[in-house]
Amino acid sequence: MLQHFDPNKDYGTPASLSENLVTLEIDGVEISVPEGTSVMRAAALADINIPKLCASDNLDAFGSCRLCAVQIEGRRGLPASCTTPAEQGMKVWTQNDKLAKLRRNIMELYISDHPLDCLTCPANGNCELQDMAGSVGLREVRYGFDGENHLDAPKDTSNPYFTFDASKCIVCSRCVRACSEVQGTFALTIDGRGFDSKVAAGQDEGFLDSECVSCGACVQACPTATLTENSVIEMGQPEHSVVTTCAYCGVGCSFKAEMKGDKLVRMVPYKGGDANHGHSCVKGRFAFGYATHKDRIRAPMIRDSIDQPWKEVSWEEAIGFAAKRLKAIQAEHGRESIGGITSSRCTNEETYLVQKLIRAAFGNNNTDTCARVCHSPTGYGLKQTLGESAGTQTFDSVMKADCVLVIGANPTDAHPVFGSLLRRRLREGASLIVADPRHIDLLDTPHLGDATHLPLRPGSNVAMVNALAHVIVTEGLEDTGFIAKRCEDDAYAKWRAFIQDPRHAPEAVEEVTGVAADKVREAARTYAKAPNAAIYYGLGVTEHSQGSTTVMGIANLALATGNIGRDGVGVNPLRGQNNVQGSCDMGSFPHELPGYQHVADPVARGRFEAAWGVEIDHEPGLRIPNMFDAAIAGHFRALYVQGEDIAQSDPNTQHVEQALRSLDCLIVQDIFLNETAKFAHVLLPGSTFLEKNGTFTNAERRINRVRKVMPPIAGKEDWEVTVALANALDYPMNYAHPSEIMDEIAQLTPSFAGVSYDKLEQQGSLQWPCNDEHPVGSPIMHVESFPIGKAHFAITEFVPTTERANRRFPLLLTTGRILSQYNVGAQTRRTDNQVWHDEDVLEIHPHDAEERGINDNDWLGISSRAGHTVLRARISERMQPGVVYTTFHHPHSGANVITTDNSDWATNCPEYKVTAVQVEKVSQPSDWQKNFHDNHQRQHKFLHEAKPAAE
Amino acid sequence: MSHSEQDRLIQMINQIALNNISAGDESAVAEVVAGHVKKFWSRRMKSQLFDYLGQGGEELHPAARLAGERLQGDAR
Ligand code: SF4
Ligand code: SF4
Ligand code: SF4
Ligand code: FES
Repeated sequence: MLQHFDPNKDYGTPASLSENLVTLEIDGVEISVPEGTSVMRAAALADINIPKLCASDNLDAFGSCRLCAVQIEGRRGLPASCTTPAEQGMKVWTQNDKLAKLRRNIMELYISDHPLDCLTCPANGNCELQDMAGSVGLREVRYGFDGENHLDAPKDTSNPYFTFDASKCIVCSRCVRACSEVQGTFALTIDGRGFDSKVAAGQDEGFLDSECVSCGACVQACPTATLTENSVIEMGQPEHSVVTTCAYCGVGCSFKAEMKGDKLVRMVPYKGGDANHGHSCVKGRFAFGYATHKDRIRAPMIRDSIDQPWKEVSWEEAIGFAAKRLKAIQAEHGRESIGGITSSRCTNEETYLVQKLIRAAFGNNNTDTCARVCHSPTGYGLKQTLGESAGTQTFDSVMKADCVLVIGANPTDAHPVFGSLLRRRLREGASLIVADPRHIDLLDTPHLGDATHLPLRPGSNVAMVNALAHVIVTEGLEDTGFIAKRCEDDAYAKWRAFIQDPRHAPEAVEEVTGVAADKVREAARTYAKAPNAAIYYGLGVTEHSQGSTTVMGIANLALATGNIGRDGVGVNPLRGQNNVQGSCDMGSFPHELPGYQHVADPVARGRFEAAWGVEIDHEPGLRIPNMFDAAIAGHFRALYVQGEDIAQSDPNTQHVEQALRSLDCLIVQDIFLNETAKFAHVLLPGSTFLEKNGTFTNAERRINRVRKVMPPIAGKEDWEVTVALANALDYPMNYAHPSEIMDEIAQLTPSFAGVSYDKLEQQGSLQWPCNDEHPVGSPIMHVESFPIGKAHFAITEFVPTTERANRRFPLLLTTGRILSQYNVGAQTRRTDNQVWHDEDVLEIHPHDAEERGINDNDWLGISSRAGHTVLRARISERMQPGVVYTTFHHPHSGANVITTDNSDWATNCPEYKVTAVQVEKVSQPSDWQKNFHDNHQRQHKFLHEAKPAAE
Repeated sequence: MSHSEQDRLIQMINQIALNNISAGDESAVAEVVAGHVKKFWSRRMKSQLFDYLGQGGEELHPAARLAGERLQGDAR
């Protein structure tokens, strides 16, 4: 019979991947399933639903409740169907009198220790215990309710997003298994035995103080109301749901937004999502409250100068005001005096429109995006070597990797759902190599294989990657067959001669990297000898003066060992923001049209010119840092910024602020009055991902639909604002729906040629390239050949950064992220995620702390050659001596006041990861922080003055 | 052109030269630098580079200077 997979149904046990089929008969229905499938799942596939309580198809079968008992011909007793594998020729009955009686007895026992407050219970209408009582036909509870019970067990409300009501627990251990199997955190255990057994978080210390990272997998797994979202307790069960995509990180998890009218009740990770398969992290699942936060900008606003209060106006007036100013500035200062910045948080369609607006209506190529400050070296480095600016794999590919090399990334914090998948693979036995200055959590995750840490000094990535390659080449560990067949001979010969040089040997660079040579050699061998080895890297690679070189060095490693073009291998950039991949794909960079087509390429440009009906400049435009310099110099006077906060996220804050202050017209489109908006003349209300239609593209090139579940707070989706601005600038744009924008993208971008909303609807998601050759997309890239034919080994000279520790600034500062906050924090700071991280702190090694007489929680002044700020101290051994660490989620921390404007040689991606600093105890905030505070107060006053009536 | 703008351009092009120093002799390095600048720099940045060459271009790395001169030649 036809088996249709329904992602909304729970099949009881996980799918088997076996290719051998077995055929069995269940209640007289014949069904063929892959060997290893449980009887329960086989039945569910035949639409026969066996009662169950402790089973769920994202967890291994456990067999504790026995409710799923069945009768099998020729077998004694009534075996549990969830733990019994289907066998060829088996005959199974799921219903008969004996089974009914057994199930009723079991339910009776459960119910006798369960508070019967169904009518007032938050799970009412969505409770598996209730469903099972109904399905087994429970009619009486003979044991009475006055025996020994757990009805008075206390509630744990320590987690801000969910409540643990122990009185309703049936000890099915689904939560415990979800925490270990799905999330990989192992925060929960079943304490005690028999009647006394109960679920405990950590050492019974409550959820908030335990290891729990609030991913919510346990809440989703719980069949009762024991673990319930607080939003459900407050609002009741949702009545409809819409599948959409998380707007936080580059994993791009699919969610069901569960709604009551236009109110969002909860986000439930969607099992049909190919990036996350039903898992999520705390941000995507719980941190959506910012969407309805009182700080949202609800009406367009304008002002003549940034020292004036805002004036609330109509959309027409605001857009008209902006257009008039842009035109006047161009008339006076020339076509190239204005530009714009696209957003990695907005949709593909919105990003596409902004760069189109700039190229077609502004008439120049002064478009850039915040990917400049995070993954621009990925685009450059991978294009140079592999011919395409994108990661090569799916996330699932990691499940086939035997060795995983993680460089400058912290997946369990920054890409949590991928982190969970990786942990699962490590538990299965893959070996792990981490090259990072910091001891990351992944190193402590339970694993079967080896875990090696190469704690290199900040700024020595290229030396490390070269040393690994040197070992591979000189110890004869190359995949010569792959190289001969797939790589360009000339470039390879040059590279080989270069990398063989003894100056790249691990011994020779020990001084630079600070890592023992034999450890590096061992790691190189492990990577090269693994049947499948995969590299994952993050901002610790790109945000350096040599970011592009490291990316190319990483590609060299994969090429030299033949780890490209199949499952389990590859080069995988872990992207920061949700749509970094998409914003790069959509032509946000000043030198590239959508699909990475250079503006100087007459054929590509000609296609766009014909479609857009304008002439496009064949010279690249300005990058963000060059825009800032040009603004200070006076020949760049206006900027349109959609959904980015450059004043907080870009390095050397004081320089950025000076540049923004120099502009005659700054147009900011955002959901909040962000740091950049404090320097703006036009403030256009943005819409959240819940308020619009479109697509995001995640780190595996997967294009996922974003679907509108509530109306935009100020009446317009972001793309509609860009359309209005274009029209006001006399460049006609006319789209009724984002799907029409995607049609235009597909028409002009070869790698998107086969993408349409209809196909996305059918397929769920599509990984580009998607065209005639790959009609349903390309999960793994470079299988047969590279877009440039043969891959290109790149020479990767190690040029140390000029940012070095010296007597004045003896420590190196490096920056990073934590799980609960997202980027500049504008969204997560406006949610209860604050309980985990309400300020940025400076992590400092005990040795460095002692030298300076610093204790935990002391106020520390941190100075670099760029600036000075003050943060609280946290003594930590995660860093090596000589290296300090902070995050930049809170604007008043001013972490970027200290970062310098050093940048990557190829792309100008800022060197966030290395700043020479000095640290000392202080008693008050820095001058910058005081000014920040004053300006913050003033600008908020200006905002409130715009709408006195509303408060 | 403001001082800091010029400083940045010098720093940028010298950095490109240094990072490609193993491309071969000075001429080969200049080739890579010129290719990079041509592909990624804006019209104005290029002309600012030419202005600086006109002023003597003292702080330019030799390969960067050669690259600049070649680009200037092409532009004429
Ligand atoms: S929320 Fe996640 S991490 Fe916390 S206990 Fe539940 S499954 Fe474990
Ligand atoms: S909390 Fe829920 S999932 Fe966990 S054991 Fe109790 S009933 Fe089962
Ligand atoms: S933040 Fe990332 S990992 Fe977390 S739910 Fe969203 S997309 Fe998934
Ligand atoms: S569902 Fe099979 S034993 Fe609980």
